[in-house]
Amino acid sequence: MRMPQVLTANRLVVGEVVYWGGPAGWVQRLEQAEVLMNGAGEAALANAAEWVRKGEIVAPYLFDVRVNNGVPAPVKVREVIRAAGPTVRRDLGKQAD
Amino acid sequence: MYRYDEFDARLVRERAEQFRGQVERRLAGELTEDEFKPLRLMNGLYLQLHSYMLRIAIPYGTLSARQLRKLAFIARTYDRGYGHFTTRQNLQLHWAQLPKVPDMLLELAEVEMHCMQTSGNCVRNITADHFAGAAADELEDPRILSEILRQWSTLHPEFSFLPRKFKIAVSASAADRAAIAIHDIGIQILKNAGGEIGYRVFVGGGLGRTPFIGQEVGPFVPKADILAFLEAVMRVYNESGRRDNIHKARVKILVHQIGIEEMRKRVEAEFAEIKKTGVLELPAEEMARIGTYFAPPKFEDLPRESPEFESKKRENRAFADWVKTNVHTHKMPGYAIATISLKTIGETPGDCSSDQMDGLATVMDAFDQAEIRVTHEQNLVLPHMRQRDLYALWQKLSALDLGAANHGLVSDIIACPGLDYCDLANARSIPIAQAIAKRFSDLDRQHDLGELKIKISGCINACGHHHVGHIGILGVDRKGVENYQILLGGSGAEDASLGEILGPGFDQHGIVDAVENVIGTYKDVRRNGERFLDTYRRVGAQPFKERLYAR
Repeated sequence: MRMPQVLTANRLVVGEVVYWGGPAGWVQRLEQAEVLMNGAGEAALANAAEWVRKGEIVAPYLFDVRVNNGVPAPVKVREVIRAAGPTVRRDLGKQAD
Repeated sequence: MYRYDEFDARLVRERAEQFRGQVERRLAGELTEDEFKPLRLMNGLYLQLHSYMLRIAIPYGTLSARQLRKLAFIARTYDRGYGHFTTRQNLQLHWAQLPKVPDMLLELAEVEMHCMQTSGNCVRNITADHFAGAAADELEDPRILSEILRQWSTLHPEFSFLPRKFKIAVSASAADRAAIAIHDIGIQILKNAGGEIGYRVFVGGGLGRTPFIGQEVGPFVPKADILAFLEAVMRVYNESGRRDNIHKARVKILVHQIGIEEMRKRVEAEFAEIKKTGVLELPAEEMARIGTYFAPPKFEDLPRESPEFESKKRENRAFADWVKTNVHTHKMPGYAIATISLKTIGETPGDCSSDQMDGLATVMDAFDQAEIRVTHEQNLVLPHMRQRDLYALWQKLSALDLGAANHGLVSDIIACPGLDYCDLANARSIPIAQAIAKRFSDLDRQHDLGELKIKISGCINACGHHHVGHIGILGVDRKGVENYQILLGGSGAEDASLGEILGPGFDQHGIVDAVENVIGTYKDVRRNGERFLDTYRRVGAQPFKERLYAR
């Protein structure tokens, strides 16, 4: 069985990590991301190509998550760090907002 | 130090303006990311985990106080108030924003700096011995050749699209402080039997997923021939290096596949062809002209030992500890070389805040230091300190939280940015370095262990030089969880060797205990005065394995 996924990218202008939030568009926080079930990720990724073309985002890709009470949690530590910021600088990144 | 001529100054300014146009076209949608990416990389701009990262070239690791202040200003104004000094003597700013990068490049151009050739498949920033011009064992200032190579390689049309990146390092003595054995080309300045100074050239060194120690391709290249010889090496590589597989495209793979004898043959044939034209013969006058930029400062006539310095060492144990590890012999009586550790316990190896950079620039002015050096071990060096000023220097450094007395010791750890910042990383490096440094923070314990070089990389690309650590640590991804392998027996110095993996890896918490376990074995089996590396070479991996993996 495939794991749920979240679509992520970086904003072209500032490089900030963003997530696909469905109707909300590209959102800043992982908890606002749309959880993509049952292969919906591929369609969302294909849709992201248009946002790349428009110069909103770069480097979109999907990553696996576990869902607890509707909130996605990354499987890999890489995405935990992208979602928060450097673990050695808690004053920087999204964790500092 | 070298000063830009009119051509250099125009080049970097025009390059910044050219990039401004490219950024504007990208933001206007006239360039796609595929079109823009190689352009931004040519200007040292990467997209990393959280943001863009700008890699600033510091040729042969030399900075003036004015340049250091400018770096502090740029980091504070355009980034997050700090920078990270790397194993290639560069500075990385990890929070750049695309529209502001052209302004950052123009700010750099104001102080004769740039980001060219810090990325891409070209000859990268030339690195050199950080004790240049100061070391007692030096034959000639390695920055003279390094600067000539910088000029030769900058935007060299034939070598701007190589199969892969190409790194050159220059060492000026038998003691290798520039890690030349792990560079694509390593150059050792040496003297032949006739007393003539020339260059011993190594090729095919490198780390990454397929590490190799460089091999000698030219035992003694006369000064006048060095450009022709290096151009010959580059041509052989450019023509025969693989372009079909990124993992097999470095010159080390070519040397490995054809063998060093065949490499020598091809280089010699190409060298003979280039020599016929005579165009690359390096005029002695030009070398002398470049040499004037690196003329030593006017040294005072001082006694070999400074009474004030000796007395302060006796009076202050902490200062004496700092001197023991961070102060090195200078070629001039009464002078010393001071290493500033960027490995304060608990801090990120290689990081320096804008305030610290400004503080260091003030220190440079206070002690008449025209230059500060960046080392490949992620520390800084003041090369020409009067011995009598060392105590005051140490006090000022301590006030900047830069007075750690640990150079060359177990807590002087090289660590790449790792998964905290880097898009390529599989595991974090910095927290591991911090945890090990904290575990061994007791200075008496560190001194008892003596020289011990720990190097940590967060992925197989080996920016943290883990293959050549006395103890190397490689972070890998094991089913989404960070895991750390231990390698023992590496060295990036004149006794270069590649470390060997000891056995199964450890998790984030287990790795610190594992390192302590390995060091415990060393303590038990070492002979009097024997370094960790020498003990390992004498006894091999077995005793370390037995204790570490004992059930």
